[in-house]
Amino acid sequence: MLELFALGDTGWGDEILRGLLVTAELAVATLPVGILLGFLAAYFSLSRVAPLRALGFGYTTIMRGMPEILTLFVVYNGVGMLLNALIQWWNPEAGAVDFSPFAAGVIALGMVFGAFAGEVLRGAFNAIDPGQIEAGRAIGMSNSQVFWRISLPQVWRFALPGLGNLWINLLKDTALVSVIALDDLMRMTKVAVGVTKQPFTFYLLACLIYWALSVLSELVLAAMERRANRGVRRAA
Amino acid sequence: MTQSDIVLKADKIHKTFGQVEVLKGISLQARNHDVISILGSSGSGKSTFLRCLNFLETPTSGTVTLHGEEVVVRNGKPANPRQIEQLRKRLGMVFQQFNLWSHRTVIENVMEGPVIVKRETKADARDKAEALLQRVGLTERMNAYPSQLSGGQQQRVAIARALAMEPDVILFDEPTSALDPELVDEVLKVMQSLAGEGRTMILVTHEMGFAREVSSEVVFLHEGRVAEQGPPQEMFAHPKTEVFERFIAKVK
Repeated sequence: MLELFALGDTGWGDEILRGLLVTAELAVATLPVGILLGFLAAYFSLSRVAPLRALGFGYTTIMRGMPEILTLFVVYNGVGMLLNALIQWWNPEAGAVDFSPFAAGVIALGMVFGAFAGEVLRGAFNAIDPGQIEAGRAIGMSNSQVFWRISLPQVWRFALPGLGNLWINLLKDTALVSVIALDDLMRMTKVAVGVTKQPFTFYLLACLIYWALSVLSELVLAAMERRANRGVRRAA
Repeated sequence: MTQSDIVLKADKIHKTFGQVEVLKGISLQARNHDVISILGSSGSGKSTFLRCLNFLETPTSGTVTLHGEEVVVRNGKPANPRQIEQLRKRLGMVFQQFNLWSHRTVIENVMEGPVIVKRETKADARDKAEALLQRVGLTERMNAYPSQLSGGQQQRVAIARALAMEPDVILFDEPTSALDPELVDEVLKVMQSLAGEGRTMILVTHEMGFAREVSSEVVFLHEGRVAEQGPPQEMFAHPKTEVFERFIAKVK
């Protein structure tokens, strides 16, 4: 059975590994996009300006209410069409371009991550001790100094458990891109199953790989939480 | 008293929360080396007034003048918001709940203002912070986090943090009210030594002994107005108003 997993032409090992690489790349590329959108969503929903607040809550509500796969289709097809329309308008001679499934995956998954992260971060910012923020103001810090020196370093402490969950969700949601023909771990697994007719073997392998990624993430997250909680007395 | 003696002046400070007028035009002057204790029962507006001095609470109207620099507020809006950060750099503040930054060590808490706000070098700020921590008796706890300290120790760090900015005036907002009784003295001792070296201080306090022995002036607020003010010995011996007389009788 091991020859099924061999690298090279005889086995599926190299295809699966390439798929794993695409999955990892997609998740890693999506994370900063998602975090950035999350901070923007949190900033908007905590804003004192009513229209910004409405924008923030509107974004979170819509994204949270849509199935991820639908978001992915909307981005992949919709943004692709929009892009082509823009190119046609700019230069009618130009031919149609293909919107990369990888970019569609990053945008769609990033938007979903951002909506949930926005809620996590909103709660986390609200959890910061307002007295410490006042102490910063009282010493003459500007709003941005208060943000960078007091709020941001402490927001991780409250946000990491929630963001960690979202990251693990993201790792697994990358599997959705297999439906828009991106050769990720899930799609390569399906191809292998299709050719070899050994679903149990390959699905089990994929399952173990996804699980290993989660466990690895949990270990890294635990270390990050320990660091974020330095100086904080643990409840006995 | 010459005009130039006056360090901090508050003029006709009004503050309204919703429909309730908490401060009904309070004025106060602090000369160099003054230690002013603000007394009053709860709800008298004393903490709100103190917080108006450094604009943690924006007055509804009034003027705060620090060394001749006027910050004027009308309709709840400072005429020039940029002045406020400048004013705060020169006014230290010590809070009831200490409000130390929990993610930074003791010495980092003291260095933060000089390095980030006053742009001093880290080496200078560290030297100064070490000297100040020695002064408040916390050299050994320099690298501890605030959560590892007792309340009294935290408050002494907070005082060192305020001193590190070399403020013209230090505001104390009930600095001993959150402390266990046995820890009050260590904080009062530090405050007394600051008064002894001629620091200008304004404090809201329930410590009658301190107000009486250490302060140069006592201001008694009642229902958002100054009901009585003067030198502590005289005021405590011969209260002029009935409200202050009742207040002393109650806290005795």
